[in-house]
Amino acid sequence: MTHIDSKAWLLIIAWLLPLCGFVIEVFAGYWSHRCPGGRYKSRTAAYLAVGCIGGGFLLSLSALISGISDWGLLEHQTSHSQAAPLESDNPDAHATAHFTVANVPHGEDADTGETGHGGGQKYVSGEIYTLGTFGKLRIAIDYYVDSLTLIMFTMVTLIATCIHVFAIGYMDDERTEDHTDHQVHLADGSHLHRPGRFYLFFSYMSLFCFSMLGLVLAGNIFMVFVFWELVGICSYLLIGFYVERRSASTAANKAFIVNRVGDFGFIIGLMILWTSFGTFGFKSYTDGNDGAHPEPGLFEMVRDDHGKVDVEKTDHGSIVRIQDHDDKSASIPYWLLVAAGLGIFAGCVGKSAQFPLQTWLPDAMEGPTPVSALVHSATMVAAGVYLAARFFPVFLPEVLLTIAYVGAITLFVAATIAIVATDIKRVLAYSTISQLGYMMLAIGLGGWGAGLFHLITHAFFKSLMFLCSGSVIVGCHHEQEMPRMGGLRKKMPITACTMLIGVIAICGLAVPGVSLWGYKIAFSGYHSKDAIVATAMTYAHLNPAHSLLFLAPLVTAGITAFYMFRLWFYTFAGEPRDQELYDHCHESPRVMTVPLMILAFFAIFCAVGGEGGPLYTAISHSETIPEHIADSAITLPSHKQIAGYHQQAGILALLVAAVGTLLAWLMYGVGRPDPGIIRRQFAGTHEFLVEKWRFDELYDAMFIRPVHVVAAWFSSFDRRVLDGVLHWFAHTGVVLARWNRWFDESLVDGIVNWIAVRVQAIGQSLSVVQTGRLRQYVMFIALGVVTLFLLMFALFPQT
Amino acid sequence: MSNQPLFWIFALLTCGGAVGVVISQNIVRMAFSLIVSLGSTAGLFFLLEADFVGATQLLVYVGGTLVLLIFGVMLTASGPFQQIRVSPGETFLGAAVGLLLLSVIAFTVIDVEWDTLNAARTEASPGAESGNTARAIGLRLVGIPADHEIGVHEGRGGRTGYLLPFEIVSIHLLVVLVGAAYLARAKRRVADGSTGGEN
Amino acid sequence: METPLAYYLFVGAVLFVSGIVCMATKRNGIAVLMGVELVLNGANVNFVAFAHYTPLGLDGQIVSLFVIVLAAAEAAVALAIALNFYNNHQTIDVDRGDKLRG
Repeated sequence: MTHIDSKAWLLIIAWLLPLCGFVIEVFAGYWSHRCPGGRYKSRTAAYLAVGCIGGGFLLSLSALISGISDWGLLEHQTSHSQAAPLESDNPDAHATAHFTVANVPHGEDADTGETGHGGGQKYVSGEIYTLGTFGKLRIAIDYYVDSLTLIMFTMVTLIATCIHVFAIGYMDDERTEDHTDHQVHLADGSHLHRPGRFYLFFSYMSLFCFSMLGLVLAGNIFMVFVFWELVGICSYLLIGFYVERRSASTAANKAFIVNRVGDFGFIIGLMILWTSFGTFGFKSYTDGNDGAHPEPGLFEMVRDDHGKVDVEKTDHGSIVRIQDHDDKSASIPYWLLVAAGLGIFAGCVGKSAQFPLQTWLPDAMEGPTPVSALVHSATMVAAGVYLAARFFPVFLPEVLLTIAYVGAITLFVAATIAIVATDIKRVLAYSTISQLGYMMLAIGLGGWGAGLFHLITHAFFKSLMFLCSGSVIVGCHHEQEMPRMGGLRKKMPITACTMLIGVIAICGLAVPGVSLWGYKIAFSGYHSKDAIVATAMTYAHLNPAHSLLFLAPLVTAGITAFYMFRLWFYTFAGEPRDQELYDHCHESPRVMTVPLMILAFFAIFCAVGGEGGPLYTAISHSETIPEHIADSAITLPSHKQIAGYHQQAGILALLVAAVGTLLAWLMYGVGRPDPGIIRRQFAGTHEFLVEKWRFDELYDAMFIRPVHVVAAWFSSFDRRVLDGVLHWFAHTGVVLARWNRWFDESLVDGIVNWIAVRVQAIGQSLSVVQTGRLRQYVMFIALGVVTLFLLMFALFPQT
Repeated sequence: MSNQPLFWIFALLTCGGAVGVVISQNIVRMAFSLIVSLGSTAGLFFLLEADFVGATQLLVYVGGTLVLLIFGVMLTASGPFQQIRVSPGETFLGAAVGLLLLSVIAFTVIDVEWDTLNAARTEASPGAESGNTARAIGLRLVGIPADHEIGVHEGRGGRTGYLLPFEIVSIHLLVVLVGAAYLARAKRRVADGSTGGEN
Repeated sequence: METPLAYYLFVGAVLFVSGIVCMATKRNGIAVLMGVELVLNGANVNFVAFAHYTPLGLDGQIVSLFVIVLAAAEAAVALAIALNFYNNHQTIDVDRGDKLRG
């Protein structure tokens, strides 16, 4: 048994726990589900799932603590950049402190950095099991654990635990043997009745968590791909959980098929990487190679220890030297590496619902709300961002620029659609797409830490908001249209309160200029969004040609604030618009509100301290700071440059967000100007946005209809030509067979039967002699002898 | 020496017994006639100087086979003096065929020139004159020819004797007797309460 | 004078034909068996006679011995068959055993 680091052990167990849960639930769930007597069934499956994922959370947490103490994750890292420390007048005391400390290359850190404790080797990686070796190709289950993995594990398991607990309450109506689905109308006008699928839901959830954790834990890109697809299939199962609803099954198909488009690129990237580098692994193993020369991973081959990419110009164009390779002259064409990066990113685009492929995510709202929460915060869409971040070292500047633009377009488009959406879950879905755009933008701009920072904070407040919306939906008896709600804060105080926390967090509101115990009074979203906007601002200053990449997130910050507060005012504030709905509305049970409060706590405090706080510091330990490529048109901002723009960007973003909030309050809180009038004035734009920028129509016209046309043509070809030929053959065959049958029946059978009849007749006539009487036979013998004698005498007379 | 009167006595008894078997309708009388016929045949054997065969005839046939037959008669008799009638037509037909066959054989016997065969008869048969043939037969059985024939048919191509047939017959007899005992075993599976099973 | 061979042969023929007629006319199974014995004896008489009058010599006697032995065996088996027949048909009439007729 090879040595495996204790942190990795903890994570492996945390990873496998949901799988155990899934296996038990899927094979024994039906029985555990049964409860003799009583209308409602047992909750065993749910408790098992919660236990598994909760246990996973505890293990992840202990791994995280172990990682913090082993690697000093909360100490500020020595920056790889060789720049001199920058003294700024940043009023954010901690941010200043952070960057001051970070940029002073003082001795202790430099020493420990090389010995692998504080700096150089802040990851563990190794092999769990080799699946097979096919020539050069080695496929294994690897793990790769660094601070990002630890934080992702903790975040995913924590949020998943909350969602699981929430789902116990949300899915409660599935615990009946005869569940009525009010959204499915059968042919006779009645509603569909089916057995409840309580246990099935939780088994899917467990499999989903297992897949996501495996994706995060994976130590090679192949394994990432496998779990990537597993995540895809789980989302398919969960989005289509109400499979009898046509919209749900269509949405599940759409999610799956749209993801295939991205995965196609992913596979291409995968193949390029393997053919060029000959390995799937991320980095060389630290565990279990018994002193043998570690096989280098992809990241080490592309960049050296200082994040430098070795680009050479040759007659045939640029090439990238492969580092740390046995063959010193090994290289890969520059464009090919760009293509590989774009391919991998295409997968991320599909998974994270980025600009060209974003259409599946709003439809995915057809799944139960806990699924939406899980998909939108911690797992599926996070997987795309996570992979983009994980593969950051392989991405060349061109790829990063693409990522940045895709992110910028996405965040703006999605935010504008969210303004006009009226379905509470759809607003949140578009908001998710928009926020994912932020993360992608940050990664594309080189703000690696900022993007992941936002990923974590967003996971908390978005799951919180989704669960709140789920609470509202349950409270309002599956009403999702916001215009029918209103004034719900009186009926559902806890939900309203926690939702408000989430809304403030996502909008990035803060109290400027005031600190409490040295900490800024702001929720998590403020810090992470601030970091992104600051990165974008720096980037725009360094590369003025791309200043759009700064304007888009800035404007969108305002739009975000507007639509989020619109949602809150619509739902919880004002007077009830639908009195009947309001009267039947009720606060959710404790099992649903407690997860809300836990998530609200994290939505407020998880990013405390901003970029000097523990979360960001821990994440940034995994960061690869890319060296500037000399002749590249793009200059990526460094930390010290970003720090210079930080205050400016913070104020700008806050201002924009405040404007958005104010506008929302005026329109939907006060009612002046009346949103209805504005809607009528901008009817065209409004319709355009309601139609989601007509992406569905565009895809319909671009892909679906041509496919239908081609399919119809093939169908007619099949029907006319191929079927004609086949029918002719079949007809000829039938005719031949008929003739053959006649020949067989009359001629062949006739001969055989005639012979048989004759033989039988002869036998019959001969059988008369066989009298069965003994004495007669004796007589025959005697007569025969006499006859023989007489014959002999007659024929051979004696001479 | 003339055996002529003895021959006639034995020949008449033999033929008479045989005809008695044929014409008698009573099975017990038939058995008795058979004894007479077979016993007389033994006498004919003695006349032909075949002492051992004659003795065997008396021992095996008269002493063994006939006892068996009489047992058979007793075991299968449904009543005293049981008779199973044959239609007169059949009787006549049988008689006619029998006479025809007899006449054919008689014609053949008369027609053949037996004296030429007699002339070829050698004086060789050892013990033939004395009629003491037991030892000669025994030697012949084990394949050793009589004294003066040694050297006449020498070598492997010579006569091989009757040892193998003798052994085969011995085994055959054993098997047959065991089989007969098995076959004659009283079977109780006839469930109609007939008297057959009791026998 | 010596008795001619033909006389013995004639006795054998009478025995043989008697046996045949016995077999052909008797319906009693035991009687049929007796006919068989007669036939065999007729043959035996011929063998022994030829053994005495022809170069056949002792071989004729040996064959007749075999015939006697086989006749005994045959009688035993035939008796057993007759008994079984009787058990099955409650009679010894061979005309009843015609199940194999064509």
